[in-house]
Amino acid sequence: MRPELKEYKFDSMLLSTFASAAKLKNGSDKEYRTMLKYIPYFNGTVTTVLDTGEPGLLFIECISKYLENYITAREKGFHNAITTFCFSPGILYAMDVFPICLEVLSVAQTFAYKRGTAEFLDFCNEVGYTETSCSSQRGTLGAFLAGVGADVDMVLTDTPGVCDTNANAFAFAAAYLKIPFFSLDMPPVLVDVRTDQYHNADFRALIAFLEEHTGRKLDLDRLREVLKEIEKQEELVAELEDLARIVPNPLPVTFNLMVYATRFLFSGMKECTAVLESMIRIASDNASRGVSGLSGGVEKLRTFFCYIDHYTNSLKLWDFLDKNGICYQGNILSRSWASTAPHVKEYRTEAAAYTFDYGGLDAMIRTMADHNSRMPMIKSIRGPYDAPDMWLQDTLSLAKMYSADCIIYNGTPGCRNTWGMVKLLARDTEKAGIPTFIMYGDAFDDRVESWEASRDRLEEFLRVRRLLV
Amino acid sequence: MNSAFMEAAVSLNNDYVREWKKAGKKVVGYTCSYVPDELLHAGDILPYRIRGFGATEATIGDTYFGPFICSLPKAMLQLAGEGRFDFLDGAIITPGCDSMRRLDECWRKAGEDIGGILPKFFFHFGVPHKFADYTVKWFIDEILRLKAGVEGHFGVSITDEKLREAIRLFNRSRDLLDRFDDLRTAENPAITGTEALAVILSGTTMPRDIYIELLAGLIGAMEKSGGMMGDRMRLMLVGSASDDVNLVRLIEGDRALVVADNLCFGSRFHVDRVDETGDPFEALAGRYLAKNECPRMYGEYAGRLNMLIDKAKKAKVDGVLLQNIRFCDLHGSENGLFERDLEEAGIPCLKIEREYGPLVETGRLKMRVDAFLERIGQRRRSA
Repeated sequence: MRPELKEYKFDSMLLSTFASAAKLKNGSDKEYRTMLKYIPYFNGTVTTVLDTGEPGLLFIECISKYLENYITAREKGFHNAITTFCFSPGILYAMDVFPICLEVLSVAQTFAYKRGTAEFLDFCNEVGYTETSCSSQRGTLGAFLAGVGADVDMVLTDTPGVCDTNANAFAFAAAYLKIPFFSLDMPPVLVDVRTDQYHNADFRALIAFLEEHTGRKLDLDRLREVLKEIEKQEELVAELEDLARIVPNPLPVTFNLMVYATRFLFSGMKECTAVLESMIRIASDNASRGVSGLSGGVEKLRTFFCYIDHYTNSLKLWDFLDKNGICYQGNILSRSWASTAPHVKEYRTEAAAYTFDYGGLDAMIRTMADHNSRMPMIKSIRGPYDAPDMWLQDTLSLAKMYSADCIIYNGTPGCRNTWGMVKLLARDTEKAGIPTFIMYGDAFDDRVESWEASRDRLEEFLRVRRLLV
Repeated sequence: MNSAFMEAAVSLNNDYVREWKKAGKKVVGYTCSYVPDELLHAGDILPYRIRGFGATEATIGDTYFGPFICSLPKAMLQLAGEGRFDFLDGAIITPGCDSMRRLDECWRKAGEDIGGILPKFFFHFGVPHKFADYTVKWFIDEILRLKAGVEGHFGVSITDEKLREAIRLFNRSRDLLDRFDDLRTAENPAITGTEALAVILSGTTMPRDIYIELLAGLIGAMEKSGGMMGDRMRLMLVGSASDDVNLVRLIEGDRALVVADNLCFGSRFHVDRVDETGDPFEALAGRYLAKNECPRMYGEYAGRLNMLIDKAKKAKVDGVLLQNIRFCDLHGSENGLFERDLEEAGIPCLKIEREYGPLVETGRLKMRVDAFLERIGQRRRSA
């Protein structure tokens, strides 16, 4: 790692970057345009997000606030925890533990810097963590292993049984940094009494762990407040998902990213609600006018991403989609599996969904356990891909419901789990009549395959399959 | 050493399996050491650990698995696709790791394309990734689910009494393997690491009572025979699943002996005992799930490190060879931690990444092992 990278804490630098970005539009338009020249690798992200108006600004402010929260948590007498995107942070906020979501921070860095997370990725390898591991965690993990991140109290994950390489990243972090570790474990079946009991017991063990390591008792009123906010957010997400069914889709292409990123950061907190409400105002307005969310105004194609997006760099994937009139119909990250979600109602999959119950501690624990065990990825790829309520069923039903013309898989070479079954999934979705494309790049590290190469291959697929003339 | 061990180690459908089948009995394969094979034995079924040994290409494996996947399950699928596991009447797939658990779907889908390669009994066996009262409860239920599946499919009855008998028999083999391990790690062992791996892993491929007989004979012979240590370096082999005796042979050459290991096809196969009193299902769950030697059991690194240090000291090793199959992130990453901490404890380490399968990279591996032997040789000379 270059010595200069060790001079400052990476997260404090990232905080400065996003805090400054949030203020860019405070001046005149001329000042704004001039400033963009000074951030040549970040201006694509800034313009794409801020051009969405109020939601974009709130979103960038959210990222700043998130960074500030965990960086300053310890000096304010609170705690922080390294955790993962598919671990709902609600329980943590209810106990004044500020989450440090490795994957979101990796994305923030690939959006902000030309170097992305390359040097932190490589630092992990220097200290013995495999280069074949998933780059989503590795990109930020390296910074913490190198001691250039905030001091951390504990490590939490919920991916054992779902994603080895993810769970392994957190276990490695805890062993390397010698700090406490807790993992929620996920059985291979979702809808099952045994599984429910397992999730409940596991979640109680998590609460006991948090109480032990924070010295605080779980406050039921705080938890209730957080859960009510999550429920409200799920309703808002459901409304956005409903709006996305309209042709043309009134949601700008970046809204999907902003939905899931905000939930990963602030699920159960007012900050997330504000972003979602703001997005609904824009999307509803577009819908009432029959306007597409695409900047060109013409929707030529609707795509469903069956896994994750491509994050390197400066939002080039979203820019590509927008410029080509390709509407983004979501991915597994943005989905809510609340019983009120449109796809749950449409396909009558309530048994696999969750509801909210504030009746008492037991009911709230059950609610949290159900919610957490249906987070993106946790829900869909825990069992065989073709089992009920798993990846194939979710992908096909969502792609059909949102009228997708094609399905695109993008991940990272570190994703052992999906690479073990994506060829089979693609074969089945093709059989179902939906053209499917497997991208071989790395969502977080464009040294594996440049975005330009990935884009060329994607364009070739769209051309050869006559999806985009 | 009795050649029966080596023959069983380097062939899939070995003599014992063929004899067993000839008697009209069933064979069920499993992919991971977390499957309680006592259960199958109690149903008069031969438990057989599925291996990738002998695959010489990956055309079938690569058709179903994606490119960034460990070559061991690909090799297993390749062998299955070539019909080399046709002697299996059933297969049990576990979430040992992500690559291995996707063998479930890949084998099933390959079975749709290539007739007859999918055993009629095909079972996904869920194994938790941590040890707690509620995970043990889950695991007991999972064992009961497997029992019901086996009984229903094969028309057998697995009674508590038969299970207790099987537990006693398998514990007896573990006692013998512990004795074997003592002899193998002795100052002047009478057996090479190559042979030792063959002895241990052959236990997963033959009827346990025959294995015990052969093992007892071998131990008796070893106790009487002279050693072969000479001035060779003493190594311990650690990391990803290794069922290829040729890998150990390559490492040992004529300058080293692998006197200890921590492999799931090796000495991890016989650690701990199943409690012979009380409920047999609880006893099985207790033994199998409490085994934290595999990095799939997250958050247990400290225990595994201490165990390795103890083993290294007991076997008086000159160095530890930490190997992982490419894309095996669990062992690969933990090897990185082991390297840091074992070196700090004064135990030299070599960390290598390799492919599973025919040893196509012998030159590279041999060069690195030789350099390591040179290093620890100098250390020994200067001690």
